[in-house]
Amino acid sequence: MRRRTALAAGATAVLLPGCTLPVIPRRPAPSLEDAAGWVRHEAGRYTVRLPRAEMGQQVATAFQQIACDELGAAWDAVTIDFTDTSAMARVKGTVGSDSVREFALPLARACATLRLALARGHSGRLLAAEELPAAQLRAFSGQGVWVGRASPLVQALDIVTGRPLFAADVRLPGMVYGRVLRAPGSPELASRPRRWDATAARAVPGFLDLVQDDRLAHTGQAQALAILAATPGALDRIESALRVEWERLEAPAARTPQEQLALDAHLATGALQHVPRGGRPAADTAWTVDLRLEVPLAAHACIEPRAAVARWRDDGMEVWAGHQDPFYVRDVIARRLGLREQQVTVRATRVGGAFGGKTLCTVELEAALLARHLGRPVKVQWTRAQEFAHGFHRPPSSHRVRARVEGGRLVAWWHAFSTSHILLPGAALPAWMQGGVAGVIGDAGAARGSEPPYRCPSVRVEYQLTRLEALTGPWRGLGAGPNLLAMESAIDECARSAGVDPLAFRLGHVDDARLAGVIRRAAAFAGWDRPALTAPDRLRGRGFACGIYKQAAYAAAVAEVEIDAADGAVRVTSLWCAHDCGLVINPDQVRAQVEGNLVWCIGMVLVEALPFEAGAVQARNFAESPIPRYRDVGRLRVDLVESRAPPGGAGETAMVAGAAAITNAIRDATGWRPARMPVRHNDILAALRARSHARTR
Amino acid sequence: MRLTVNGAPANVPPEWRDESLLQVLREHLGLAGPKFGCGAGLCGACTVLLDGAPVRACVLPVAGAVGRAVVTIEGLARPAGALHPVQQAWLDEAVPQCGYCQAGQIMAAVALLRAQPSPTDADIDAALDGHLCRCGTHARVRRAVARAAGRPGPR
Repeated sequence: MRRRTALAAGATAVLLPGCTLPVIPRRPAPSLEDAAGWVRHEAGRYTVRLPRAEMGQQVATAFQQIACDELGAAWDAVTIDFTDTSAMARVKGTVGSDSVREFALPLARACATLRLALARGHSGRLLAAEELPAAQLRAFSGQGVWVGRASPLVQALDIVTGRPLFAADVRLPGMVYGRVLRAPGSPELASRPRRWDATAARAVPGFLDLVQDDRLAHTGQAQALAILAATPGALDRIESALRVEWERLEAPAARTPQEQLALDAHLATGALQHVPRGGRPAADTAWTVDLRLEVPLAAHACIEPRAAVARWRDDGMEVWAGHQDPFYVRDVIARRLGLREQQVTVRATRVGGAFGGKTLCTVELEAALLARHLGRPVKVQWTRAQEFAHGFHRPPSSHRVRARVEGGRLVAWWHAFSTSHILLPGAALPAWMQGGVAGVIGDAGAARGSEPPYRCPSVRVEYQLTRLEALTGPWRGLGAGPNLLAMESAIDECARSAGVDPLAFRLGHVDDARLAGVIRRAAAFAGWDRPALTAPDRLRGRGFACGIYKQAAYAAAVAEVEIDAADGAVRVTSLWCAHDCGLVINPDQVRAQVEGNLVWCIGMVLVEALPFEAGAVQARNFAESPIPRYRDVGRLRVDLVESRAPPGGAGETAMVAGAAAITNAIRDATGWRPARMPVRHNDILAALRARSHARTR
Repeated sequence: MRLTVNGAPANVPPEWRDESLLQVLREHLGLAGPKFGCGAGLCGACTVLLDGAPVRACVLPVAGAVGRAVVTIEGLARPAGALHPVQQAWLDEAVPQCGYCQAGQIMAAVALLRAQPSPTDADIDAALDGHLCRCGTHARVRRAVARAAGRPGPR
C-alpha cells in the first residue's frame, strides 16, 4: 500500500505536458460489500462470481469448496462464473499467491451471511457480508464437508473433452484476425517501420487492412504496424509479403544484460543503492564463505501465448481476456481508446498459464484498437516469437554472498546483488518514472526473500537496480527464487565449513517454529538420515534447502541428483518438499502447486535461460529457450503440514527451496559449487576434470 | 476440399485451403480442443490423430489431411458421452492445472496406448517427451497414462 501511494505521489509530482502517464494497477483489498456482490441466489441455486483469475492454481475449485460449505449447498447447486468487469466491483489482480489468503475469508463470510439470511426468511439481495468470526465459519474451523479434502476440479471435464475455455477459443460472428508487428529488438529501444511493401501485402488472399496507430506502441518506444486478415494463416503470408524494414532509433548497448548488472563495479564504488538490512561488517572480516551466483534472464514460457478477442458494439468495447488483472485491462483500454470505464467490459477466460507474465495490458489493447478501427470483432494471439521478443521476463541477477562462521555459529552475513526491476517493470513505466520511484523505495519484488531467516548478529543485505533493454518483471516467486538460491547455497557452504550437517546447521540458527517444522518434516520423509545411494558409474548427491515466502508460507526441500561422469548430464532423480501454507482448502491441489514449483526449480537450475544480445531476445521458439521436459522431471514427493494458521499461499512458495536443494546436491556429488545458472553438462565436466587434476597433483 | 473429422465429413471452403490443419479445426470448424502453442511443432499442444497416429496440426497444411481420418480430443468420448479411459484417468489423477497443453498430451497418450497397450514408465516418457507443460503436471500425466493402461503409476 505504501508503495502504491509513493508511486501515485511520484507520478503527480513529475507530470509534464506531453508525457503519457501509465495506468497504474489499483489494488483494493476486498471489502465485505464487495464479497456480498460475488454471491447470488435464485431458486435454490447459487452463483459465485469469481474475484480471481483462474490460471491452473484451481482457485475456482477452492472457492466452490468454500461456497458449498458455507452455503450448505450441494456441489452441483453452485456455479462459478469468471470475472466480468461489468458485473462486479473492482478487484485487484491475481498476483502474489494471495487469493486464498485475502479472498477466502470475505467469500466465506458472504456465503455464510447469505445462508443465515435465507434461514431467517430473507429473500432480497445481500448488501454486505457480516464480519463473522472465523470460528463460526465452517471452512475456517474444520467443520467443512468440502474444505480440507480433494474435490472435483472446476472445468477439468471441459479440459479433457476440449471445450472452449481460453481467450483464443472465443469465436464471434464476423470475427477476423490481427497481428501487431514491431521491430525484432526489445520494445525498450525506440524503433519504427521505415518502409514496407503494402502492394504485395494487399495482394495476399485474405488481406483486410494495414493499420498504423501510435497507441499500438505499448511502452511508447517501439512504433508498430498492424495487419488484419480474414484467416489466421494469412497473417503469416501478409507479414512475409510486407517485408517491413525496421529503423532502430536507438543503438543497443554493447554489453549483455548480465554485463550491465556489473555487481563488482557497483560494489567497488561503495554501498549499493538499496539496503534492506543495514549491518556493517568490519572491513577486515575474514569471510569463511564468499560465493558468487549468476542467474540469467528467463521467460515465463506459458504454453498459451497471450490472446484476446475484442468487439466494438453499441458504443461499447467487449474484450475476452486470459489475464491476471481484468480491471487493469479495462482501465488501460478505456484510457487509450478515450472511453469511459462503463463503456469497456472485460470478460475473463481461463488463463493458459501466467506465472506473473500476464499482468500488463498488451494483446488486449491490440485487439481492442484493431476492433475499433475495423468495426469487426478481432482476435489477436501472439506468436511464440512475439512472446519472447515483446513479453517481459525474469530479470537476470548477479549475487555475492559472504558469511563468517565462528565456532559453528554464523556471526556475519553480507548479501549484495544486482538485478533489474520486478514490481516496477520497465515495460509499464517510462524510465523517468521508474527511476524516480524505485530510486526512493527500491523494488520490493527484486528484494523479496533476501532477508535471511537465520540468527546472525551482523546482517547486511543490499542491492542495485539497473534498467535493462531486456524487459523484466514478475516471474514465479519474483526475487525470492534467485535470492534464496544464492542464500541457501551460502548457508550450505557455512555448514560444510563448520563440519556440521547442513540440516542441523540450519536448525541451530532458526527461531521460527514453522520453518523448523518443515525442516524436520522434510528430513523425516526424505530419509535424510539414511546413507545416500551410490552407483559405480554415477556420481550421486543429496542437497537440502529451505525458506519462507512472503512471511506467510514455508518450504523445505531435499534433492537427490545423479550425474553421469562421462557426459556431465545431471538428473534430479527425486525431490521431496515439506510445505506449510497454513489452512489448506484443497490438499491435492496445493500438492499440485508444489509439484509445479519443483519443476520450475529444476528448470531454473538445469534448463532455462533466455538468450539476449544486441538489444534483442535471440530466441524465437522453445528450441532456443527450452523449458523442462519429461526427461528432466524425476520423482516428486510432497508432504503438507496442515494447520489452522491463516492461509499463506502456495503458488510460489516452494520456489524458495527447490533450486538450492538441487545445486546443493550437485555440490555434494561433485565437490563443485555451481556459480552460473543454468548448470550445463560442460560445466560439470570441467568441474570433474579440475577435481581429478587436483587429486593427481 | 473435404475432411473427415471425428467421423463426420467437413467442408473446407476455398479461403481456408491455405491454412494449417490446426487453424481450420479451431477457427473454421470451431473445434477448440487442439491449441496453438508454438506454431513450429515443438510443444505438442496442437496434437491430433491422423489415421490413428499423433501429428502436430500447427505445421500440417490442411491439404495433408484430406482423405485421412482426423480425430481431435472432441472426438474421443463415446457418442453416449462416456469418457475415453485416458480422459477418465486424467480426471481420476486430477492432472490438469491451467489445462492448455492437456489436449495434446491426452491425444499422445491415446496414440501410445493404441500402439502399446502396456507401456513401461520409460515408454510413457519417450512418447510424451515432446509435449511441453509449463505448469509441471508431468508426474501426474505419467500416473494417468499408467492408470489408463490398467496399472498403478509411478509415485
